[in-house]
Amino acid sequence: MKKLFVFTILTLVVLTSLVACGPQKAERPIKVGIIDTYSGPPAVYAEDALNGFKLALDEINKEGVLGTTIEYTTRDEQFKPDVALSMAKELVLNEEVDLLVGTINSAAALAISEYAKEEKVPFIVWISKSEKITGEQGHRYVFSTGENTAMAGKAGASALAQKPYTKYWIAGDDYEYGHAIGDSVQRNLKALKPDVEVIGESWWKTGEPDLIPYLTAITAAKPDAVIFCAGGASMTNVLKALKATGMSEQVPIWIHTATDHAVLKPLGAEAPEGVMGTMDYHFYYPDTPENQAFVKAFEEAYGSSPGFPAFHGYITARFIAEAFKKAGALDKEKFIDALEGLKIASPAGGELEMRACDHQAVLPMYLGVTKKVPEYDFLISSDIVTVSGDGVMPTCDEIKAVRGE
Amino acid sequence: MFKGVGNPSTTLRTRLVSHRWLWPAVGVFIILLILPPLAPRFYVYIFALIFVTALLAMSLNLTVGYGGLFQFHHSVFYGVGAYTLALMLTKTSLPMWVGFIAGPIMAAVVGLFIGWFCVRLSQLYFGMLQISLGSLIWAIVFRWYTFTGGDDGIHGIPRPPILSSSNRAYYFILFALVICLVAMYIIVKSPFGATLQAVRDNPQRCEAVGINVRRHQLMAIVIATFFAGVAGVLFVVLERSVFPSLLFWTLSLEIFIMCLLGGWFTFAGPMLGAAIIVALRTFVGKYTEYWTLVLGVILILLIFFLPEGVMGYFLRIGGSANRRIGESGKGAG
Amino acid sequence: MLGQSFSFAALASQFLVGLSRAMILFVVCAGLSFVLGVLRVPNVAHGALYMIGAFSAYSISTLLGSSPAGFWLTLILAPLVVALVSLIAERALFCHLYQREHLMLLLFTFALSLILGDLVKLVWGATYRSVLAPAFLRGSFPIFGSAFPRYNLFLLVIGPLVAIGLWLFVNKTKMGKISRAAAVDREMVGALGINVSWVFAAAFVIGCYLAGLGGALVAPTISITLGMDHNIIIEAFLIVTIGGLGNIWGALVGSLIFGVTQSLGVLFWPQFAIVFPYTAVVVVLLLRPTGLLRSVW
Repeated sequence: MKKLFVFTILTLVVLTSLVACGPQKAERPIKVGIIDTYSGPPAVYAEDALNGFKLALDEINKEGVLGTTIEYTTRDEQFKPDVALSMAKELVLNEEVDLLVGTINSAAALAISEYAKEEKVPFIVWISKSEKITGEQGHRYVFSTGENTAMAGKAGASALAQKPYTKYWIAGDDYEYGHAIGDSVQRNLKALKPDVEVIGESWWKTGEPDLIPYLTAITAAKPDAVIFCAGGASMTNVLKALKATGMSEQVPIWIHTATDHAVLKPLGAEAPEGVMGTMDYHFYYPDTPENQAFVKAFEEAYGSSPGFPAFHGYITARFIAEAFKKAGALDKEKFIDALEGLKIASPAGGELEMRACDHQAVLPMYLGVTKKVPEYDFLISSDIVTVSGDGVMPTCDEIKAVRGE
Repeated sequence: MFKGVGNPSTTLRTRLVSHRWLWPAVGVFIILLILPPLAPRFYVYIFALIFVTALLAMSLNLTVGYGGLFQFHHSVFYGVGAYTLALMLTKTSLPMWVGFIAGPIMAAVVGLFIGWFCVRLSQLYFGMLQISLGSLIWAIVFRWYTFTGGDDGIHGIPRPPILSSSNRAYYFILFALVICLVAMYIIVKSPFGATLQAVRDNPQRCEAVGINVRRHQLMAIVIATFFAGVAGVLFVVLERSVFPSLLFWTLSLEIFIMCLLGGWFTFAGPMLGAAIIVALRTFVGKYTEYWTLVLGVILILLIFFLPEGVMGYFLRIGGSANRRIGESGKGAG
Repeated sequence: MLGQSFSFAALASQFLVGLSRAMILFVVCAGLSFVLGVLRVPNVAHGALYMIGAFSAYSISTLLGSSPAGFWLTLILAPLVVALVSLIAERALFCHLYQREHLMLLLFTFALSLILGDLVKLVWGATYRSVLAPAFLRGSFPIFGSAFPRYNLFLLVIGPLVAIGLWLFVNKTKMGKISRAAAVDREMVGALGINVSWVFAAAFVIGCYLAGLGGALVAPTISITLGMDHNIIIEAFLIVTIGGLGNIWGALVGSLIFGVTQSLGVLFWPQFAIVFPYTAVVVVLLLRPTGLLRSVW
């Protein structure tokens, strides 16, 4: 009897969910389908991006777009690209979204990009940094509002080329992002300073908690400087290990996103000083009235300061709204045409452009060095040098060449 | 650990006709045949995905349920089949059908290689060695960017023109599944299948009567990995992408759970387990971000109230105890 | 890279680093091995319990501060939190399943790992957490000319202490001896009038306590994130297998092999670090198919 009861409940649950998820019919808000990783270590970035997106939507939906509002629904891909692709299909075929947005996982972003091309649904990538997304595997239906490894590598190289170091060691997470950043920096650095030499490489499994053996081995090899290619939680592990071994005081170090708030905040005052990093958004820089207003609104809504994903999420929503307004209709092709070359006001002040030739947002990069300051109980980026987006992006001709057009 | 007996004495035909499940199965098949024109595109996709996953789970069960082997890294062979087809379609200009045949064969070759080492060990050691060897293969696929695309995977894989629409892909997958199921059924009901189950239940006694235990186990592994390779090929047809995560141990664990959930000592149980997990993941994920919590709770409910898995429960209330390939034994190691 | 010759100092310091990493692995794997030995079930939830240990250490140390007293209290309390969680899971659910098939018990621990993993997300959220080592364990000092973190030295001391404690427990206490007996022949233990269910409960809780202790020990050295459970569980299972199922000292040997292979391998072939653990396991299992030390069953 008990078993029959449980079994009936289970069947009802399964059947109801199957029935309840038929395509929604209603008046027509603009539907955005968001696929991202909301479980595991990358979740903190995905949530930050979603918060930035939601903050923008609150403002946008007050006046509305094309007489209606923008709605969104999220799906957790659990950092698995096959799940992400499945969810993208569900969003397009079942939920009938007008566009897709996502994700932090590069493999997922590339797979969804292919599907978006097939189904002719616009897809905006907001955290994944793979340069292939708007580079060699770019096409009409995919856009990116985040910086990519090509841009970060060029920015990092421009900073390092001015230093006297020639013997470099490259170390990082053993996955595409790590290698892509490593290659990009190497490539650009050698172009700027031909006598640079990479004397060795170390690659650990992604998320490796114990980096001390790697650091001690690298120090033993005595490079002039080290380039770390780590992402996410690994970054914090790298910084912790640097502090524990005191390596950051002996050897100059550069890491893309070392100056990211999500990485420095948990470490508090114990993060290492003097580490060079690049970032495309800081909540404390530039100290414009627009940035202050954005940060204040974000802090009031979510209780923490915005990081770079929140910045990307916010501008994604703005790009979507402005593009639909310019298109004048809920049509995907018109949306794409409107989005190409579109300029919006950046929440940090100034303007941001969605470059037409490759669908990449033109983002400035801020080069800085970690430093302790009295105002905060975590480290911030200091001595910041701004490199404009045009200075770090591949040219339109380079993009055409790499896409084989 | 696994107990039970098979029933090899009656002929295949009488057994087929006398089984009560045959007609309902045909009914289900007919419904699935007429699904594409009637149902929304999304359901066609999800059912095709369930078919692929079901085939994968069934192939695992050949080793786990029928063979009693600790096949802990079965997804490697799935991934090898998928990558073989993907690489042949994108890197060579051989006719597409060559890839379709090469995929399962490659999977079986890898299965033979890994299996040869694993059958020398028993139980948990078998499983752990398989995880290690399989993970080495995963690491190769994961790292070899220039050849396999590394952790980005390969995307936009072309389909053969005959399978160009998603409906045609659906039918192809459905027919492939049915053919494989029939083949698997014939295999498990054959003398080989009976011997395999005897080896599972009592390897020492089998050795004593002169059966080569290792060879039987190895053959079971090769067959199972062949079918896993077929599932991999079907995955490429459906999703047109491959990723290294297809070879990662978490997927192997997931397929294992599908077998346990559906009932690993029944023939069709793993299919049901696969359907449940895919459906849950797709539909529960819409409503809550804690869908793994929901899955965990459902599994615990099932453990307590439906211990023979969902299929086992069905069979028991249907009163057909002799159709199961074994009873659920009691706890003793 | 291969051609580079290393001084004895570099090798020695790298060896020590590997040893200290092995200590944490040992604490976690000893717990897993103990449960495997007595209950004969691989506890898939062991990684999730380790993660809860780390997160609890974060919460407790935030409350108590990183003074030496706070640090020691955290090390004592965080594993107790994990032990409590495991006791609840065991008495409420697990103990009713002891008569069942082993695969059902495995499935239960898997379901538990899913639930606990999401529970951590519910309670602590997705932000990265960090725990500060107490002041007397921060920084490094030179050993063999290389900077050796003080905290790693602390691990080199704690590890053997835990090992000694375990040895005393298993060999000198009544509870320990009963557990060893139950691992080998549970029916006989039952026949002697001892409540086998309580023995299992105690063994499970002790094993999970060790997982929590491992998490609390590792907390100051890494960033505490969701997904920590997946990273540790596969290593733990591999170590326990090569050590010999259920054998705590096998877990020690396995952890040492893992830790040292990793750190020395990193010195010579740092580009291929991801394959080291698997290669080590393949080599061991091909040479000694039943693990290095005798399995308990």
